[in-house]
Formats: sequence, structure tokens, C-alpha cells
Amino acid sequence: MKTFPFIYNEPRQFLSSLQGKQWADFLLGEINPRFSVTTIKAKVVAVREETADAKTIVLKPNWLWKGFRSGQHVPVTLEIAGRRVTRYYSLSSLPKDKYLSITVKRQKGGLVSNFINTNIKKGDVLELGDPTGHFTLPKTLPSKFLFLAGGSGITPIHSILKQLAANQFKGKATLLYFVRSFEDIILHSSLEEIAKSTGWLEIKYIFSDVPKEGYDSGFLSKEILQKYTEDLKSYSVYVCGPAPMQTKALSLLEGIDVKSELFLLPGQTSSKVKKTGTVDVFLSLSHKTIQVKGERSLLEELEDQGIYPQSGCRMGICHTCVCKKAVGSVTDLSNGEVSELGEENIQICVSRAESNLELEL
Amino acid sequence: MRTISKKLNHEEIEAFGKEVDALREEVMAKVGKEDADHIRSIYKIYRYTEILGRGLIHFSFEPISFVAGSLILGASKIINNMELGHNVLHGQYDWMNDPRFNSRTFEWDIVSDSHQWKFYHNYMHHTYTNVLNKDHDYGYNFTRLTEAQKWKPVHLTQPFTNMFLAMNFQWGVGAHGYRVEYMEIPKKQRKKKSLKDYKAVFFKKIELQLVKDYLFFPLLAGLNFPKIILGNLIANLIRNLWTYAVIFCGHFTENAESFSVDDITGETKAQWYLRQLKGSSNLDGSNFFYTMTGHLSHQIEHHMFPDMPAKRYREVAPRLKEICAKYGQHYNTGRFVKQFASVWKRIVAYSFPDSIAGKLMGNKKKYLEPTGLLSQPSFQISLPNEEKSATLI
Ligand code: FES
Repeated sequence: MKTFPFIYNEPRQFLSSLQGKQWADFLLGEINPRFSVTTIKAKVVAVREETADAKTIVLKPNWLWKGFRSGQHVPVTLEIAGRRVTRYYSLSSLPKDKYLSITVKRQKGGLVSNFINTNIKKGDVLELGDPTGHFTLPKTLPSKFLFLAGGSGITPIHSILKQLAANQFKGKATLLYFVRSFEDIILHSSLEEIAKSTGWLEIKYIFSDVPKEGYDSGFLSKEILQKYTEDLKSYSVYVCGPAPMQTKALSLLEGIDVKSELFLLPGQTSSKVKKTGTVDVFLSLSHKTIQVKGERSLLEELEDQGIYPQSGCRMGICHTCVCKKAVGSVTDLSNGEVSELGEENIQICVSRAESNLELEL
Repeated sequence: MRTISKKLNHEEIEAFGKEVDALREEVMAKVGKEDADHIRSIYKIYRYTEILGRGLIHFSFEPISFVAGSLILGASKIINNMELGHNVLHGQYDWMNDPRFNSRTFEWDIVSDSHQWKFYHNYMHHTYTNVLNKDHDYGYNFTRLTEAQKWKPVHLTQPFTNMFLAMNFQWGVGAHGYRVEYMEIPKKQRKKKSLKDYKAVFFKKIELQLVKDYLFFPLLAGLNFPKIILGNLIANLIRNLWTYAVIFCGHFTENAESFSVDDITGETKAQWYLRQLKGSSNLDGSNFFYTMTGHLSHQIEHHMFPDMPAKRYREVAPRLKEICAKYGQHYNTGRFVKQFASVWKRIVAYSFPDSIAGKLMGNKKKYLEPTGLLSQPSFQISLPNEEKSATLI
């Protein structure tokens, strides 16, 4: 390591140690909470009720927002009880719109979706990340689209439909929207509006829980597909919905060009975690995957395999062993609580592996 | 070391531990928005006082505003180091998931490198509190504070060396860190890095601090640079004196006990709690005073619950006191002046050989008496490596 004079050998690192960015962020934040030089912050300019349990949040981002493509999703970070939590939501607005919007449906047991629906109001400031995802339109448009949406999976599809309308699409598109009941249809009026004003879109609502006169009911099946399409192979297919629907669609549409996006239900996932004997732990910094039993603390189990992460007290007080968990769920040995699946910092000396994990080690 | 607390048997100790655990759980369950708001406002105060302090030093025409600026900058550094830095680096706010308050990403305005400090403070000091030869903070390797440390003529100088340390506390803390970190690494894992590498980390941090305070800001002032240098010197001096005073009051008052490595072999969590209680002392004062000490005024609570957001110690203290009273355990607390005097009495007394030291301290018994922590363990502190022996230089 080169050190002296540090300021000469590593000027960049030296400059960053003066915390210029933090200073700028602090002062800008004092002027307007939306201003920042490091983080995309967005102010809520409107909250629209879509259904009884879904809301559209309209956001005005700061200058760091670089735009997105229809169908992409964005990490949204907000504070709940003092803690920053992040979830991905599809953008439901059009890239050229003045403001951007996300539409969030309450999920049973979902911490963030419920918080957004109950607490977010005009004037709040949220953090956004860069938009990601390949669930987008190709450069040259095909002539026929089939969209399969399940529940909240409609949001990116809605954005794509609006994009098609804006691009003066001339072909044909069919949307099969699987949803629990008529009342649960999200973005209903907007969808109808697109269908009416353009003429190339056919929408079929299919209700899984509460049937309704004049509509189909049930889940995605071969029959339904056959009923509303002819020559499946000629379509370009987009699927977005919860896991079961996804799997079903992929098996029904084998051999066809399908773009699909899994829609993860936040609260639901953690209950699905099951202990299956050994689990895989991927150590992202050392690019290693190892198996652990999940019987004792992660720290001990790693050490058993000759991996020595930083540790100290080994009893959960000193936080020397804190490490970022990117994916997976652990149990806190001190109180038996099972963590969420997402990204967070954990103390590995008092955490036991619950599912496959990815650790920053 | 004599103890003025009642000796407890194994069952009593475990029961005591249970009550402390329950208290901890109850308070930790409340941690949330209130604590996040608190640390954010501390962060704001720290930023604003730094602007104000540096601004006054920079633009002052006469001594009064210059001195005010230096004092405010000193206060800002104290807030940065104590209520913000010390507590954040303990991981008290890791749960917020905010990089500004995360123990992995926080760096503070002091020559001690935060990573090295976390190792020897969070781990060594807090796990082995007041265990001779293991807790390197105990007398900082040169101050004799108990009969268990052998007297040497050099100890006669300790009142003076301590005054020196008080004025240069950040240097003492920093220089300490890299050596401890290196020495405590198991030999097998040491190979890759030499002591020099650890020293380099410290030197890097020193350079950053020196350049910032004594080059960067002075240069901004052009020909006025001597004034800026002086202002920063005063601010750093104030911070050093204050942190020294608070930390010594927390650990080395008359009745704060020390322990030997044997005392803690096979120690249970409950025994660990008890040791934390016996090895620490509190300071009474106002809420403003508490905040300026980074709540190290509540050293006892801090030692029992190092990762609890520190402001919570205020509500924990009276209840912990009750538990201690119930078990006949001495809860060491007092006003700042009294505690600080007590520390200095001890520093002066133990600079002399045991015969004089004993008299000065008013001890009846001369030699270390086991403090009664030991009995069959149910939960063990596992040491990470086989080299349990303390390696001190
Ligand atoms: S090693 Fe101390 S908290 Fe995990």
C-alpha cells in the first residue's frame, strides 16, 4: 500500500475523505428535500386511488433521474419506522410524461405495499434507484401482441400499451388480464381508454375468485388461450404475473417468443422459505459457493469450512461481523425472528441460514 | 481489587442476568422512528456547528468571535466523535439501513481509523472490559490503576503522562488501535499482512486529518492561515480533554473493578453483565450534558447494551438501578467533578508502590480478591482462536 504522501498518491480518495458529496447532499437537502448529488429523490406530487386497495403515486424526480423505457421497474426506497426499506415497482407512466408514476396494490402481509397505500401522501419524498429490466418493447415492432397479466402484473403492461399507443402502433394486440374480481381491476379506466381511442387493443378480463356475468372466470389455461388467439406462433407474447401463472404460461407457450417478468409478492415470499437440510451460501466478494447446514450460526459454519470472516465478540454485541446479505433469509438466534428475503446487513455470529443466501464476503 | 457489592451465588447471578435481558428486550422493541429522528438531528447539529465554527474562525476580526468559533468547532468535533461517531460505530443505528449512520461506512473526525477502532474498542474493550492484559483500554498500557498491576518506578510519572494523554487523547486512541489489531490476530492469519500494513492504515488517517485541519482550511484563508491553524488546534485540544475526561470517568473511578483473564474463563452472559456493571461508572447531569458525552455518562448501561441507541440509556438507567439494588450490587454513579476527582485520586495513588497506594486509597486489604464472578458456566464466550494469551507490547 502506497501511503505517504497519501494526498499525492491517492488524491481521489483523499478528496472523497473530505466528504464533499455528503456536505453537498446535506446542504442541498436543507434547501429542498428532493435535491441531492448522490441519490435520485422524488417528491410525491399526487396520489390517485385506482381501486379500493391500489394507488398510483405520481412522482417528480430530481435531476439525477435519467429516464426509463416502458415496462421497466425501479427500486423505491422509503422509511418505515425509522428504517429504510427498498422494493421494486413497475413504472406505470410513459417515458415522455412530465412526471413518473408507480401503481402499488396492497399485498396481504406486505410491509411496503400496505405502507404506501396507507401513509404516502402528497409532498412526501422517496428515493429511487436506476430503472432496470428487459420487459420492454423491441426496436422494430411485431404486428401482433399477446399480453398476459396477472393481478398487479398489469402495471408494466399498461405502460407498454401506452407506449404502443404513443408510437401509433398499427397492428393488433390482445390483453388477457387475470384478476380476482371486477373490483380488483387496476388501471381500469386507463386501459379502456387506450382500447377505445386506438382500436387495435382487445381486452379480456378473467376473474379467478368472483365470477361475473358476461366474463370468463378461472385461471390461465389452454382453452382460454385458444378462445382468444389464433395461431399462437404469430404473436409476440408478454407475461407478467405471480409465479404460478408465470410457470403455467411458460409451459403452455413452449417454443414461442415470450418475454416474461416475475411479479414477486413481498410478504408471501418469506413464508415460502423452507429449511431443506443444507443450503447454498454464495460469497459474492470471493466468488465462492459453499454449503452450510443451517444448524449453528453462519459465522461458525463458515469457520468450519476454513473461511474466516471478521468477527469479534461472537455474541452479537460488537457488530464486527456485520455483513451485507444480498439475498435470502436468516434467523436471528438472539430472538428467533426470521428476516426478510431482501437486502440488509446482518450479524453473522447470531444469524442462522434459513434459505439459500448471498453474502457480501 | 476489592468489591463493595454483595457476592452472589450462581443462581442469583443467572437471575440477575435474566432481569437485565428482559429489560434489554423491552427497550429494544421500542427502537424506531424516535431514535432515527434523534440521530438525524444530531447529524444536523454536527454539520451546522462545523459550518458555524469554521466560519467564525475564518471570518473573525477580533479575539471574541475567534475564540467562540474555536469553541464551537471543538463542540462540533465532540458531537461528531461521541453522540454521532462512537454510537454509530457501535452499530446502534445499523438497523436504519442508512449509509450515513452505518457502522460499516461511517468515518469520523479523529486520527483513529474507524475500522481499527471498531476492532479494539467494540470487540476487545467491550468483550473483555477491565480484564487486565486483554482490555487494552485499561490504563492504556501505561497507567497503573490497581494492585494487580506490578509497580515500577516509571509509574511515578503517570500523573504527568496522563495530563499529556488528556491533551492528546485522539493520538493515544489512534496509535493504540493498529497495534492491538495486529497483535490480536491469530498467528496463522497474520502472514498476509505485517505490522507495517496496520500502521500504514493509521498513518493514512493521520495524514488526512492533519491535511484537513492544518493545510486545507488554512490555505483557504490565504495569509490569515496562522489564525486557522490556531483555531483548529484549540478545537482539537478541547475535544481531546473532554473525551479523555468522560472516558476515564467511565472506567477508572475508585470503585470500578478490574479482572484477570482467569476470572472470565467460561463466563456466562449473566456474569458478563455483572462484570460490565462492576467495571463501569456513571455520571449524573442534565440532558444536554448526557448528549455531549455521547451518553457515555451512562457508561454502565452502555457497557451492558453497547448496541442500543444511546439515548435510550436515559430510560434504562433508573430501572437498571432498581435491579442492582435488588441484588445488592453497587451502582457506581456521581457528579462529574466527584467522579473525575476520584479518577485522579486513583491515578496519583497508584503511581506509588502498594504500601503508599493502599493508604491513599484507604484499602484494608492489599491484594486482589477474586470478585466472585465464577461458577459453573452455562453459556460460554467462545474465543475465536486458540491463542487466548494476551500479547501485549
Ligand atoms: S462478532 Fe461481535 S457482533 Fe458478531
